Amino acid sequence: MIDSENSNKSAIFFVSIILSVFLPVLPAISQEAVDSADSSAGDPVAVFVPEPPRNVTAVDHNYDRGENVDVSWDLSVDDTSAMFLGYDVYRRAEGEGEFKLIGTVPAGVDTLQDRSTKADTGYVYKVVARTAQGEAPPVITERVVPDLEMVNFKLWNVFLIGLFVSGAVIFFISHAKRGKKLFIRKIAGLEAIDDAIGRATEMGRSILFIPGINDMDDVQTIAGITILGRVARVVADYEISINMPVARSIVLATARETIKEAYASAGRPDSYNDDMVRYITDEQFGYVAAVDGIMVRDKPATCFYLGAFFAESLILAETGNSIGAIQIAGTAMPAQLPFFVAACDFTLIGEELFAASAYLSNEPRQLGSLKGQDVGKLAAMVAIALGMLGTTFVEIWDSSFVDDFNWFIHRLFSIVS
Amino acid sequence: MEEIGLWLGAFFTLGIISFLYKDNPWYKISESVFVGVSAGYWFIVSFWDNLYGKLFVGVFENQDYILLVGGVFGVMMLLRLLPKGGWISRWPLAFIVGAISGFYLMNYFSSNVMKQVYSTMLPLFSNEFGEPVFSASVADSVGTIMVAVGTFAGLIYFFFSKEHKGVFGGAAKFGIWVIMVTFGASFGYTVMSRMSLLIGRMYFIFGEWLKLIE
Amino acid sequence: MKRQVPLIITFIVGVVLIVSVFFPRVEGWNEDFSIFFDIIAVFAYFLGGGNLIRVHLDKVNKKKRDWGFSIVTLFGFLLMLAAGLFKLWNPGGFTADVAATGSLFQLMYDWIFNPLGATMYALLAFYVASASYRAFRAKNRDATILLIASFVILLGRTPLGVYATSWIPESFSLLQIPNLAIWIMTSPNLAGQRAIMIGIALGVVSMSLRLILGVERTHLGAGNE
Repeated sequence: MIDSENSNKSAIFFVSIILSVFLPVLPAISQEAVDSADSSAGDPVAVFVPEPPRNVTAVDHNYDRGENVDVSWDLSVDDTSAMFLGYDVYRRAEGEGEFKLIGTVPAGVDTLQDRSTKADTGYVYKVVARTAQGEAPPVITERVVPDLEMVNFKLWNVFLIGLFVSGAVIFFISHAKRGKKLFIRKIAGLEAIDDAIGRATEMGRSILFIPGINDMDDVQTIAGITILGRVARVVADYEISINMPVARSIVLATARETIKEAYASAGRPDSYNDDMVRYITDEQFGYVAAVDGIMVRDKPATCFYLGAFFAESLILAETGNSIGAIQIAGTAMPAQLPFFVAACDFTLIGEELFAASAYLSNEPRQLGSLKGQDVGKLAAMVAIALGMLGTTFVEIWDSSFVDDFNWFIHRLFSIVS
Repeated sequence: MEEIGLWLGAFFTLGIISFLYKDNPWYKISESVFVGVSAGYWFIVSFWDNLYGKLFVGVFENQDYILLVGGVFGVMMLLRLLPKGGWISRWPLAFIVGAISGFYLMNYFSSNVMKQVYSTMLPLFSNEFGEPVFSASVADSVGTIMVAVGTFAGLIYFFFSKEHKGVFGGAAKFGIWVIMVTFGASFGYTVMSRMSLLIGRMYFIFGEWLKLIE
Repeated sequence: MKRQVPLIITFIVGVVLIVSVFFPRVEGWNEDFSIFFDIIAVFAYFLGGGNLIRVHLDKVNKKKRDWGFSIVTLFGFLLMLAAGLFKLWNPGGFTADVAATGSLFQLMYDWIFNPLGATMYALLAFYVASASYRAFRAKNRDATILLIASFVILLGRTPLGVYATSWIPESFSLLQIPNLAIWIMTSPNLAGQRAIMIGIALGVVSMSLRLILGVERTHLGAGNE
């Protein structure tokens, strides 16, 4: 129920506030109105119609799928005037009757990219310069038909460098076939796997393997599954159990295939059980809650965390610490690596996760691919050094060779769209 | 109705927090409910968004028959439930692994190798830093050199095919120190944001549920 | 043949997606693949959901440890499925959005799912404290460096960090904690991040090539040559 007496008082109070604010300034407002009326009454109204832009062109944007057209023009001679507002760009597609406004740019801008065209359709554009009071006559372009180029030549540098790095990897993979022994430095986390699984055997406890919480569409999960194959082989040899709760159904299917094959190749196909891998939930923290429960109840001796992790990495690692498990982690998520490093016994940092499966296989071809990676790193260091020298000398040395070299080295590593 | 939601929320919040003391039935109930409800939730979201929204609507309303390829692969996955059908379920897995490998190879290469190399190509000293070249620009030059040297040392640490001995070993050692600084910075940066999550839940318990704070 | 076909599929699909980057006409195949993956994942859900039901039913039937909680899991799962598939209590009926306000599906999300997820997330505050405590007892040089860097960054974002080193003269201002924190973020941190990211990318390239060429095949249960 509204209290009518209080309502009236509120209304009076509100009106008083309004009047007390506006009454003092009313004379000033009315004087201004009089002044402007006085001034406008006498002056004629000036309508400013700007000059149109010149050389208006519409050109197909190269190396796309025909969805971009670049419209450009020379600025109107009135562009710098205070009254000038900008340019409206209209488009009419083949089969349409009217021009439609597709964009507006302010004064000083002489280009607009239309990003909604379709390949093999003709378009005509018109550009209209505008002020608050008037518009210039429209300038209409020639018809343009955006097309779909076969090859995106702007990516020549990506192709070249990609070919170099991939070529190095493939070269060393095939080179290693010829039996030449490649030196690979020790990676502590991977060397510890056998001992960690042996410890679990002595204690009569299980191994826990977590392949990350992402699906098989993440390359880190694939890396985790490839390592699973190696770990499962050792687990099968030691005849202990592996417990693998997963957060994705496709990972469930893949992990089962992997472990089953590992047991088969260890000569123990009957020891394999589908229940070694079970689905929990897709939800990140629901999965972690369940895995925490598994850890404190089953008390695995060794925990592997190998794949993509997010905030839950610390929860897993700290719970693993509380049960006294050996923990071997690996991820390519830079934000989670610090937590694994702080909480786990061994951590595979970034690249080491992807190298792990090759390392554990001890096969020449796989180890050869690691050497190819090193060539890529060396090339990156050389490129950075050359680029820094180029950028430095171009500042202090006036030489066309230095300018060209600097441009080339930067263009080699830039992605142009 | 809202009261029911508040009490349920408080019950489960305290149940999860009780795990910090030790595993107990209250946590087990909360965990069990979370697993069941969340698994159901994501199944339903995927069912309506993907099975119905993408496959059914795509094929029957938009006549986008190429999507049936996804459906066929999906059915192949289910064939692993048959005693003799397991081998065909490898085909969709092979498809996924091939596509992910091909996609990420180019994606990571251009964004993580080329862009990072390009961004490190900074001048050792520059007229833009300050005037003259060797005064106000020293700090910037030192910073640029530090970034370059640190990046080189970090990359050297990750070399697989050379033993970490001698000068190379020294550079690798410096590299792991730089990487440890990186990790420390990330760790320190995240601590504050984790604290704010806890404050949020405490506000729910003491503010919304118990109404002890405004 | 059974072992060869998956390897051939991986090779063809991998090469096609690498090469498609350079040909605008087929550049969209990446997005098409993403939709195929989502569809495959939905079918795979039947495997996952089926496994969840089977495992918990098995626990209940055989009266294994904590079998009572399995009943809770099954009940929650089936109730959520029913709420979503039949759109129970949905004000807009069966044709409305499944997560409409007031529907059983949305209520369960708001009252159960959300508080549980938010609380698990909040546990991180406790775990980061325990991880920091362990790091304080740093036993080697690497851990000490990590600890010192994290300490400087943490203090640099608080008033304490400003006050603690405000006495340092201007000529050595880099040693003031907030400035030191900024320098750490823009110099060694940036260098380390770059090295890690370049390394990761090269690792992905190498692993992808091993998978596409069939050198690595444990994921297909195929063993290696």
